[in-house]
Amino acid sequence: MQLRDLQSAATSHRGDRVFTRTVAGAAFTSLVVLAGIAIFLGLQAIPAFQTQGWSFLTSTGWDINTTPPTVGIFGMLYGSVLLSVIGLVIAVPAALLLAIFMVFLSPPRLAKVLTNLIDLMAAIPSVILGLWAFYILNPTAEEWQILLNKYLGWIPIFENTSGNFLGTPFIAGFVLAIMMIPIITAVAREVLSRTPPDLINASEALGCSLWTMLRYVALPYGRGGIVGGVMLGLGRALGETIAVFFVLKIVFETNWDKIIESGGGSVATLIVSRFGEVSGPLELQLLLAAGFFLFVMTLVVNVIANLIVSRTGRLQK
Amino acid sequence: MRPWRKKPTRFTASVTLAVVIPALIVAALYLTSDIPVPILLVVIYLPLQLIASGIAAWATKGTRGIADSVIIVNAIGASLFSVIVLVSVIGSLIVRGLRALSPHFLFQNSVYISPSTPLDYGGIGHSLVGTLLIVFIASLISVPIGIATAVYITEVRGRAVPYVRFFVQAMSGVPSVVAGLFILTIVVATGAFNQSAFAGGLAYAILMLPTVARTAEEVLKLVPDDLRTGALALGSTRARTVLRVVIPAARTGIITAVILGVARVIGETAPLLLAAGNNDQTVVNPFGSPISSVPTYIFNNVALPYPDAVTRAWGSALVLIILVAILFTLARVIGRGRVGR
Repeated sequence: MQLRDLQSAATSHRGDRVFTRTVAGAAFTSLVVLAGIAIFLGLQAIPAFQTQGWSFLTSTGWDINTTPPTVGIFGMLYGSVLLSVIGLVIAVPAALLLAIFMVFLSPPRLAKVLTNLIDLMAAIPSVILGLWAFYILNPTAEEWQILLNKYLGWIPIFENTSGNFLGTPFIAGFVLAIMMIPIITAVAREVLSRTPPDLINASEALGCSLWTMLRYVALPYGRGGIVGGVMLGLGRALGETIAVFFVLKIVFETNWDKIIESGGGSVATLIVSRFGEVSGPLELQLLLAAGFFLFVMTLVVNVIANLIVSRTGRLQK
Repeated sequence: MRPWRKKPTRFTASVTLAVVIPALIVAALYLTSDIPVPILLVVIYLPLQLIASGIAAWATKGTRGIADSVIIVNAIGASLFSVIVLVSVIGSLIVRGLRALSPHFLFQNSVYISPSTPLDYGGIGHSLVGTLLIVFIASLISVPIGIATAVYITEVRGRAVPYVRFFVQAMSGVPSVVAGLFILTIVVATGAFNQSAFAGGLAYAILMLPTVARTAEEVLKLVPDDLRTGALALGSTRARTVLRVVIPAARTGIITAVILGVARVIGETAPLLLAAGNNDQTVVNPFGSPISSVPTYIFNNVALPYPDAVTRAWGSALVLIILVAILFTLARVIGRGRVGR
């Protein structure tokens, strides 16, 4: 007799039906909450489109002196993406190398220490990282950026015409990278450690060196999971508010590619920075509309990430 | 997993040389010339180290060792980078925050304190009370629902299980600022409540729920089926099996799930800025008035031009990270208890 048979035999009891229905109802809370967020914030987005039209998404600016206010969040949307890309460029190689080190190179005890360190890094609240970045990272990064501009300033993205190197997208992207590295490393480490030892031993028997093994065995095997982990990190970076708020100077002009020039934007930071001095319910509604698009953006990225991770997990079994 | 661990002596000697020589060259340059440190590290040390390791690898393993050495140097570099960042963050918290810590810092509030008041007066007592209150409310809401979700997935095993798991996963990706905005919309804009501890607790509950549900699910799965079949065979109903047998068996794991949920949420600032506001007084009523919390206190004091206020921010950041560290250690210690009988 299987557990399932015993359980279905027991369902006829009235108390059990109540129990099952209650538990199921509670379990659907997450759906209710998600739908609630989508609906309530979406309802705020409608009036925003009515007063602004499509320029809400395609233009950049925050002029609350006109009635109705003229507002466009394109620069902020672009900024969120730009910051996350900068963060990914720094975080993905670092996280992969960390994972490779922990799984294939380091002695087991050192790997355990590093795992705890990475978990600690993941647990640091973003407000503390923002505090550290504002007082310690900013001045240090200023020096690095000045040098970057001095020697590599002929490359367009490293141009800086204002001489102000504080509050740049580069620093903000760097802070985001620090937040993404623990997430990506944890996923990559788990995926790489699940590479079947048979495959690795077979590759050694065939004369592979470490790099050849990584390139032809471990990394292809873990590719799906690693991509999923990268997207999870991206989802986190898109929604990050406080740490970016402290290091980035918000400017309502789309900063396309001058990453070591002061000024930039991010949707999440826009919401927090304008919230304190909101001039009235109209402006609040516009902020809520911006929040709706942020929610959609992060939801899409996270759903894709989870699909990739779960699909490759099933394939690997 | 590591078939490359055998090390002949020639290997060790060449590795030592490859590590020591570039370090000495760079140290000498640092002391004698005034090349700025970033250039020294990236443009001089990194290529030198790569070349030296490459030569060492070529001498011991031939051409194919060069790619290996590049990977190894960069992997070690990445690990050192992470360690340095972590040490810098924790170290700066301790160095800059310790000065602000004192008994009155933990118990007094900010009622008559202005940013320029010296450190002898005032503190984060009201913020600590606020954080405790908000986290307590969030737990009251998210723990039962999280455990119920886990029970649905592992015990009831209805047909909607994959959908429930999908929604829980999707919920874990909601940014904290969006959770705060959502609570702001329904609770505040409809006039039901003001910014308050209750609103903040609701926002925190949204963020806590996925962590609690996921960890509880894993823990419930670990309970052996024998307990369940035994209870059913003795004539128990499913409800009684779950409530009286399975959940008590997973007791320690569920406590761990709750602690992890709290640790995940306790440092989140954005939702509280939106849903709970700020207050200089110690507030105990969870409804009706804005309330301070430790992350909000840090947020408000970070960019002030008064050094004492900034030190207070560092001090409260230190308190916050100590709280988080205590929670994680607690979770680990409790989690080592056995599951089941």
